Amino acid sequence: MIYKVFLTIWMAVILVAAFLYTEAATGFPGETSRILFFHVPQAWVATLSFLLSMIASCVYLARRNVKADDLALSAAELGFLFCVLATVTGSIFAKASWGSFWNWDPRETSIVILLMIYGAYFALRSAVADPEKKRVFAGVYAILAFLTVPFLVFVIPRITASLHPEDTMNPANPGMDPKTLKVFLGSLLAYTALFVWMLRLRMRILRIEGNRIEGFRD
Amino acid sequence: MFAVTTLIAVSFSIGSFRIAEAEKPFLYAVLLWIILVFSALSGLSRSFVKEEEAGTMDVLRLSARPRAVFLGKLFFNLTLLGALELIIVPLFILVMKYKIEFPGFFAAMLISAGLGLGAGTTIVAAMIAQASARGALFSALSFPLLLPLMITAIKGCERAAVGIDTAGWPEVRIAIAYVVIMVVMSLFLFPLIWEE
Repeated sequence: MIYKVFLTIWMAVILVAAFLYTEAATGFPGETSRILFFHVPQAWVATLSFLLSMIASCVYLARRNVKADDLALSAAELGFLFCVLATVTGSIFAKASWGSFWNWDPRETSIVILLMIYGAYFALRSAVADPEKKRVFAGVYAILAFLTVPFLVFVIPRITASLHPEDTMNPANPGMDPKTLKVFLGSLLAYTALFVWMLRLRMRILRIEGNRIEGFRD
Repeated sequence: MFAVTTLIAVSFSIGSFRIAEAEKPFLYAVLLWIILVFSALSGLSRSFVKEEEAGTMDVLRLSARPRAVFLGKLFFNLTLLGALELIIVPLFILVMKYKIEFPGFFAAMLISAGLGLGAGTTIVAAMIAQASARGALFSALSFPLLLPLMITAIKGCERAAVGIDTAGWPEVRIAIAYVVIMVVMSLFLFPLIWEE
């Protein structure tokens, strides 16, 4: 409860600070650089949950612990949600900044493939009836899909140059405005905390559903 | 059969004169890989479904080790792909008047990407044989896994046709890395799928 209240206040503060406290970065049309505080944490959470889902899948395949599979599924579901959010916000930024909603920029290509992997993962889960088999197959697929990611990261940027802003908005860059950096890190924290909260909620729901089904069988 | 039909349809509707000379290497590489991948997917999805439908899965489970079954299926699929490429690629080159500057690079790209196609899809075929809605599910699961390979193969074929900057054949090396990773991971993961 206290976690939820704190998270709400924290996110509200970040939201206000993102628009009022920081100044828009130069080199971007109008106020568009403020996307940094929302889009980047969303993409970060999408990637994080993808990684988490893969690790949980490995744990499940090794230990056959249903809880690990619940974690893999919850992380994949939330990852999909944040992936969609990142795609939509990124696309709006692309329209404002480059003049087109979609242009197969390397970043756009890789996020579409990420969405496709998540979609395939859910399709596989819904197509296998036996629950034990479903978990194993989903785990195997998650690992296989994760293995193709390095290829995307290394292969696609070699082929076409990306328009995605890197230097001006990269927090590792010393040129970043300290105010912006503060709010950005705060936002990253807020989104990660939000993700953890939602993840725990989703896992609880899955556990309750699992109990109910098992009780029904007895 | 599917492959030849698509090839005829593509060749008939596009011909070899419709596309401007400058665009040819790129568009031909895309068309060639679309034909190859789609016809390969329609054949590869059957490799384990056949056993399931004939009721021979259980006998195989009892009589052979899972890795032996996987390797057998992999080699069967690779033979199938090899035959497919052997028929389609020369036909495509003839019909479309496809000029290739570096035949060696082009052939290496076709072989390595063909191996990748087989390596990436065999384990998926084993999974979908035990699921419902097999055909649709096979494409849905295979595409995300194959996309990096396809992009690489298209790029490689385009470069081989144009004849630019092919030192070290980077695309072929990427495809081979993909093959190795997919085969090794499939060998690890296949027993899990098979013994369920």
